[in-house]
Amino acid sequence: MCAQHHDQNIRVLIADDDEHVLEAYREAFSDTESTQEMRALDALAAELFESDDIAENEPHFDVVACSQGDDAISLAKKATDEGNPFDVVILDVRMPPGIDGVEAGRQIRKIDGDVEIVFVTGYSDVPLEELHRRVPPPMKLHYFNKPLSFEKLAEDVASMVRSN
Amino acid sequence: MSNARAVRSLQRKVSVRLALAMAAFIAGVFAIMRGVITPAFEELELTGAHADLVRAEQSIQAEMLNLQRVSLDWSSWDDMYEYAVERNPEFVSSNLDRSTLINLGLDMLAIHPADGEPAWQELMVGGEQQPFESLQLLRPENPVAEILTQHASPETGRVGIVDTGYGPMIVSSQPILRNDDSGPVAGALIMAQFLDDARLDSLRERTEVDMGWQLVEDFTPSGDLGIGELPVQISDEFVTNCLVMADMLGNPYLLLSSNTPRDVTWLGQQAVGAAVIFLAAAGVLLMIVLWWFMKGTIIKPIEELTAHMDKVRKSGDLTDKLDFHSDDEIGLLAARYDALNSEVHETRAALLHQSFKAGKADTAAEVLHNIRNAMTPLINGLDRIGKAFRVTEGLHVKKAVDELLSPERDPRKTDKFGEYIEASFGRIATVHDEAIEDLNVVTAQAKQVEGILADQEKFTSVVPIAENLVIDEVIEEAVHVIPKESDTEVEVDVDESLAKFRVCAHRVGLLQVLGNLMLNAHESIQRAGRGSGTIALSASETVFDDADMVQLTVSDNGTGFEEDVRNKIFQRGFTSKAQGETTGLGLHWCANAVASMGGRIFADSQGEGHGAEFHVLLPAAQGG
Repeated sequence: MCAQHHDQNIRVLIADDDEHVLEAYREAFSDTESTQEMRALDALAAELFESDDIAENEPHFDVVACSQGDDAISLAKKATDEGNPFDVVILDVRMPPGIDGVEAGRQIRKIDGDVEIVFVTGYSDVPLEELHRRVPPPMKLHYFNKPLSFEKLAEDVASMVRSN
Repeated sequence: MSNARAVRSLQRKVSVRLALAMAAFIAGVFAIMRGVITPAFEELELTGAHADLVRAEQSIQAEMLNLQRVSLDWSSWDDMYEYAVERNPEFVSSNLDRSTLINLGLDMLAIHPADGEPAWQELMVGGEQQPFESLQLLRPENPVAEILTQHASPETGRVGIVDTGYGPMIVSSQPILRNDDSGPVAGALIMAQFLDDARLDSLRERTEVDMGWQLVEDFTPSGDLGIGELPVQISDEFVTNCLVMADMLGNPYLLLSSNTPRDVTWLGQQAVGAAVIFLAAAGVLLMIVLWWFMKGTIIKPIEELTAHMDKVRKSGDLTDKLDFHSDDEIGLLAARYDALNSEVHETRAALLHQSFKAGKADTAAEVLHNIRNAMTPLINGLDRIGKAFRVTEGLHVKKAVDELLSPERDPRKTDKFGEYIEASFGRIATVHDEAIEDLNVVTAQAKQVEGILADQEKFTSVVPIAENLVIDEVIEEAVHVIPKESDTEVEVDVDESLAKFRVCAHRVGLLQVLGNLMLNAHESIQRAGRGSGTIALSASETVFDDADMVQLTVSDNGTGFEEDVRNKIFQRGFTSKAQGETTGLGLHWCANAVASMGGRIFADSQGEGHGAEFHVLLPAAQGG
C-alpha cells in the first residue's frame, strides 16, 4: 500500500486513492535517475562553461505515499513517535472506501500541531470555513484544486517549509 | 389496491341495522301493548262485568223493594184491618179478585188473620189460576210459613226470596195494621211474584244486562256454596260473574249470573293490532325515508368520492379536483381530500425537483472528482512532455562541438567536451524515453477521462420519471425565468385552453425546456430593439407516429431567423446570439431533453424581423 523514498530535507506524506495521481506525485517530488543524470550534466556544464549549478538550489523531498486516510494517520503517528515528523502532509479529500481526507487531516493535526496540511482534491462539498474549523490553524492549512501542476505544487510545498 | 366494491356495502349494513332496529321497536311496542294495554282493557272489562252483576242484583233488590212498598200500602189500611178482624165480605167483593193480582203485577196474594185460618188467598201461575194448596210456601211443614204468616209486632215485616214448588219467588209479608200503623197486629198480608222467564226478560230489558238465575241446588247438588260472589269465569266470548243470593231463611238459594260479552277485550285487541300495524307501516316508511336520505347524503357522496379516488389513482393526476359541494361532514371530507391531494401534488413536484437537482449535483460532483483526478497526471505528463521538447535549451552541445573543433582549444578539456557531448545526447535519449512514457500516461489518462464520460453517458440515458402534467402549471413556473427588470417590456400571453391539456413528461426537464424557450424568446425580442414584445403560448392536439400528442407552441415577435438557420438551430454549439451573450442550456440540450421524453421539437420563422415559433410535441397523458 505504501512506498517510501529515502532522501533528505523536506519530509512529505502524500495520501491519494488514485494510483496514477500518486505516480505523478512521485515524478514531481522524488529524485529519479533522470534528475541525477541532469544534475551530473549541469555540473559538467558548469565546469566547462562556467554556468550556475541549478541543482544546488532545488529542494529535495523525502516522500511517503499511501492511498487511504487511515494509513496516512498511522504513518504520521509513527513518524512523530520516532521523532522524525513530516513537514508537509498532502491529502486528497475523497478517498473511498475509508475515511475522507478532512477527517484524516483533523486526526493528523491532533498528532502533530506543526505539520503543514495540504488538501488537494478534484471536488469537495466541504466548505473552506468548515475545513478551517475542523483542521486549524488556517495558517498551516492549504487548499488546491485538481488538476494542477505537481512541480508547481512541489515548489509551493518547499516555500511553505522554508518560510517556517 | 383494488377497484372492487366493498364486500359488505355500507348501504346493506345500514339497511340491515335499520330493519333490525325497526323489528326490535315493533316487537317492543307489541310486547308493551300485550303486557300493559291489553291487561288494562281486560281490567276495564272485568270492572264492567262486575258492574253488570251489581246491576242485576240491584234490579232484583228493586223488585223486592217495589213489592214491599205495595204490600205496605195494602197492609197499613183500616179496611184491610177490619177485614182481617171481621172478615166482612164487602171488602172482598170490592177489593179482592183476580184483577187485583193482575193490576198489582202479583202472582200470589194471601191474607192471614192473626186469629186463625187464611181469610183470602189467590195464586196465579203463568196467568192461570192455580189451587193455592199447590203452593208449598205456606204449608205448615215449610219453615218459612211461620215467618210469613206470624207477625208478633208491627216491625216484623219481611221481604225476600223463597222457594216454591213453582220456582223462586220474591215474597213480601207485612203485618196488617191500621192506617196510622197502629195495632195490634191483625194478621199478615203476603204478596209474591215469581222470578220467572217473563220477569227475567223484563229485568234484562230494563238493566240491559244479560242476566240469569238458577237454583244453587241445580248448579251444585252438594250445595256447599257460600253466600256472595263466585270467582269470575272468563271464556272466549263472555265474562261471567255469579252471585249466590240467600233465601228468606238465610240459606244459599239463588245463583244470580251476568254474562258480559268480551267486547272491550276485542276492541282492545283490535286497537293493539291496529297500533302495531300502524307502527310497522310507519317503521317501514321511516326506514325507506332513512334509506333514501342516507343514500342521497352519505352513500352516493361516498361512492362519488371513492370513484374519484380510483380515477386519481389510475391517472396519477393529483390536480384533478372532486369539487364536491356540500356543507356536511362528507363535503368537509371531500374538501380536505382535495386539499390533501394538492399538498401531495406540490410536495411530489418539489420532491421530484429536489431529487433531480440532488441527483444531478451528486453526479456532477462525482464526475468532477473523477475527471479532475484523471486530468492531474495528464496535465503533469503534458508539462513534462513540454519540457522534453525544450531539453536542448539547457544543453551546450553546439558550444562544446565548436570548442572541440577550435584550433585554440584546451587539449586538457578535449575529453571533457567529448564526455559532455556524449552525456548531452544521452540526456536527450533519456528525456525522449521519458517523454514516450509520459505520452503513454497522457494517453491512458485521456482514455480514462473518455471512460468516465462514457459511464456518465450511461447515466444520462436513464429516463427521468415521467408524470402526468397540466401544461399551464408548468408554464406558470417557467414564466419566472423571464427577467422582471428589463429595458424591454415583454407580455406573456398564455392561452386559456392550455389548462385542459395534459402531457406525460418529466416535470423538471419540461420546466427547463420551456424556461429556455421563453428566455430565448425574451432575448430575441430584446435584440429586435422595439422596446416591447409578446411571447404567446398555445397548445393543440395532434397525432405523430400514430401516437396522441400535444403540440405546445411558444411564439415571439422578436428577431426571427432565415430559412438556412432553421436546419441548424438545434445543432450543438449553434447560437444566433452575440459572442459572450450565450445563456441557458441551449436549444441543442432542449432538443435532446424533449426527445428523451418521447417528443419532438422544431422551429419556424418567416425570416429576420418576423419573429419565431418553437413547437414542442409531447405525448398526451393517458387516463387523465
